[in-house]
Amino acid sequence: MSFISASGVKYSYEDSDKNVLDGIALKVNKGEFVALLGHNGCGKSTMAKTLNALIMPKEGVIYVNGMDTSDEEVTYEIRREVGLVLQNPDNQLVASIIEEDVAFGPENLGVEPEEIRKRVDNALKTVDMYEYRTFAPHKLSGGQKQRVAIAGILAMQPDCIVFDEPTAMLDPNGREEVLRTIKTLKEKGITIVLITHYMDEAVLADRVIIMENGSILTQGEPEEVFSQVNLLKKHSLDVPQATELAYKLIGAGLRFSKMPLNTEECIEMLEGALS
Amino acid sequence: MIRDITLGQYVPGNGIVHKADPRVKIILLIAFITLIFCAFNFVSLAVIAAAVMIIILLSDVSLKLYFKSLKVIIVIILITSILNIFYGTGTPIWQFGILKITMSGIYRAVFVSVRIVLLILISSCLTFTTSPTDLTDALERLMKPLKVFHIKVHEIAMMMTIALRFVPTLLEETDKIMSAQKARGADMESGGLIKKVKAMTPVLIPLFVSAFRRAYDLAMAMECRCYQGGDGRTRMKSLHIKKSDVFCIIFAVVILTGVVLCDIFIAPII
Repeated sequence: MSFISASGVKYSYEDSDKNVLDGIALKVNKGEFVALLGHNGCGKSTMAKTLNALIMPKEGVIYVNGMDTSDEEVTYEIRREVGLVLQNPDNQLVASIIEEDVAFGPENLGVEPEEIRKRVDNALKTVDMYEYRTFAPHKLSGGQKQRVAIAGILAMQPDCIVFDEPTAMLDPNGREEVLRTIKTLKEKGITIVLITHYMDEAVLADRVIIMENGSILTQGEPEEVFSQVNLLKKHSLDVPQATELAYKLIGAGLRFSKMPLNTEECIEMLEGALS
Repeated sequence: MIRDITLGQYVPGNGIVHKADPRVKIILLIAFITLIFCAFNFVSLAVIAAAVMIIILLSDVSLKLYFKSLKVIIVIILITSILNIFYGTGTPIWQFGILKITMSGIYRAVFVSVRIVLLILISSCLTFTTSPTDLTDALERLMKPLKVFHIKVHEIAMMMTIALRFVPTLLEETDKIMSAQKARGADMESGGLIKKVKAMTPVLIPLFVSAFRRAYDLAMAMECRCYQGGDGRTRMKSLHIKKSDVFCIIFAVVILTGVVLCDIFIAPII
């Protein structure tokens, strides 16, 4: 059975009639890396909040590891298993010292002090922030703060982490750091749902889901999804630059075996096509 | 300018004062503050001053920082001591109209300034050597008995932690908004006090809006991390009274009795 399985999920905010989520069906397997793409306001952030029981769907059900998110008795168990990393790193840190902030989650869970210490050290090492453990948050860069926020979630030992546009407020270096961390987590077997509007981040995923107006427009492997250039363009969504170039070249009569997703692949294929 | 205020700033370190139990430190601070106001002659004042100096030298924080924290209040010290010089009683040494300086006035001035300096030094020492989290943690534990009166001790401590955490963030944001408003032609430097205060409105409104937004985000982040209030919560750093803390307490008791004895056996000067 899938780790997360949602079906017929509908949700609308109180002050509007429009369904932000309009009958979403979604399955995420254990250990999978899924990227959720879409415009601003397409409901992707709302979707993220439904996954760890911050909001309940008005219709439909979401199961996380077999637990119904609308069952209040398991709310905290679900939140422990599905961590949520938000956009603004500043607003996620609670304590004035890095290690104490990372300890916040396990402290809430009532974990034993020695065990918390171990978890905090491990989490900080995983995100490569161990040397900064006694620093104050405001002394760190955006990327570092975001990594600390990730460590704070990791210390609760979740099975899945949902990232809600984690790089939107970061500079290119910070983005690079956070993406590297996400890859490390993926290698550790943690299920990842990455919500983003950067195409070059989405191509890292095993599966890309594109949302539009509260429902799923298309999904599949990155290659498969991004080769539907026409469909994406029609909904004024971007495709990775490399893919777009290849698409235009194909239009001009060049032949490619498959769609390139990043610069390296594109160069390789161009060399192949030109020789 | 706001950044120059050193009071309330934590300096990481590894000295004996850093390692002392924050609860002990808070109680000793309260004891010392009371003591500073209980010194009525030069000997007892000197004993306290010596004790404070010893603590500061042991604290593994550069003396520069202590001077910096004194710099902020130098005006207050000057004003109060000048006022006190003229408030003395007894035979005047120097007189000009109704202004007269007496020996007791000078003593008073010295006492007041030394007291203020010691107060600032000893409380700076607490904040320099104790992380804000330790501080609120200790306060939470010390105030625990108040739960009997249905005071939400944990919630108060949590609010303090968050407030302390967001002070630098909001300062940074104020700077940014001020620059943004200046870039739009806002004039914040010229004019009198009232005009200047009025000029702050376009800074304060965005600051408040953003603070509320941050609060909303933070509440969500805390929920994501399974925050359910104080019940069933554990702490990574549990507090234990160690041997060194016992020494601290003994040291404080010695100073305390010293000062009380001095007060009893030496005639008060003020």
